[in-house]
Amino acid sequence: MNRKYELVYVVSPDATDEQVTELHTQVEGIAQRMGGTIDKTENWGRRRLAYEIGRHKEGTYVLEVIDGSGELMKEIDRRLKVTDLVIRHLVVRVDEVQSVIDRTRTRRSEVSRRRRVARGLPPDRQPGEGQRGEPDDDRDDRFDMGEDMR
Amino acid sequence: MNGGRKSFGGGGGGRGRGGAQGAQQGKDGQQRRPMFRRRKVCKFCADKIDDINYKDTRLLMPFVPERAKILPRRISGTCAMHQRKLRTAIMRARQLALIPYTAE
Repeated sequence: MNRKYELVYVVSPDATDEQVTELHTQVEGIAQRMGGTIDKTENWGRRRLAYEIGRHKEGTYVLEVIDGSGELMKEIDRRLKVTDLVIRHLVVRVDEVQSVIDRTRTRRSEVSRRRRVARGLPPDRQPGEGQRGEPDDDRDDRFDMGEDMR
Repeated sequence: MNGGRKSFGGGGGGRGRGGAQGAQQGKDGQQRRPMFRRRKVCKFCADKIDDINYKDTRLLMPFVPERAKILPRRISGTCAMHQRKLRTAIMRARQLALIPYTAE
């Protein structure tokens, strides 16, 4: 059974573009060998790190969405761990979370449609309808502390 | 205003906090109006954000103020479910150095 994973790795800033692409082909090679596929690759380019990692202050971020088995991800994880060029990496399983998100989304739209029909409105929102935006957004009140904070 | 309060002694209407009188008087120098607090709403429920993703630093940054600690629920008003998701997202983003663990 195949699962969907997201892999993000941070390549050392000393690495050349060729080395980054080579790393990508390496990952791809492992994936192909073990019956997985790469659905998407994104290169975020050079970014500042939020903190220093082994005296590096920048890094090249690469994101790969991989469809494959757990063993495959284990192998990729192991390989990235021993690669000195990669200063950080993270593997996250995304298929389950994504299905939950999709389910809540469809449920929400269904509920709103049902309610609208019950109120005798067309099921979808018409343009120019609904609440006019509130002039003040209350997002900033996160920082005014209540009395219980003292 | 302050003087008036003093003459009435402990009768500060509805304050309900006797013990801290002495300590509080200094603070009351700046005139105290009745506490008005806006109702806190979970940002993620209100904006219908289903996916709290670790890659989306723009979304996460408001929840890690200067000290880079995660903003507690009692201040942000985030609901329990979303605070939980927020926490995992922040912790993942921290691992990838997208968000700091601490500010120096």
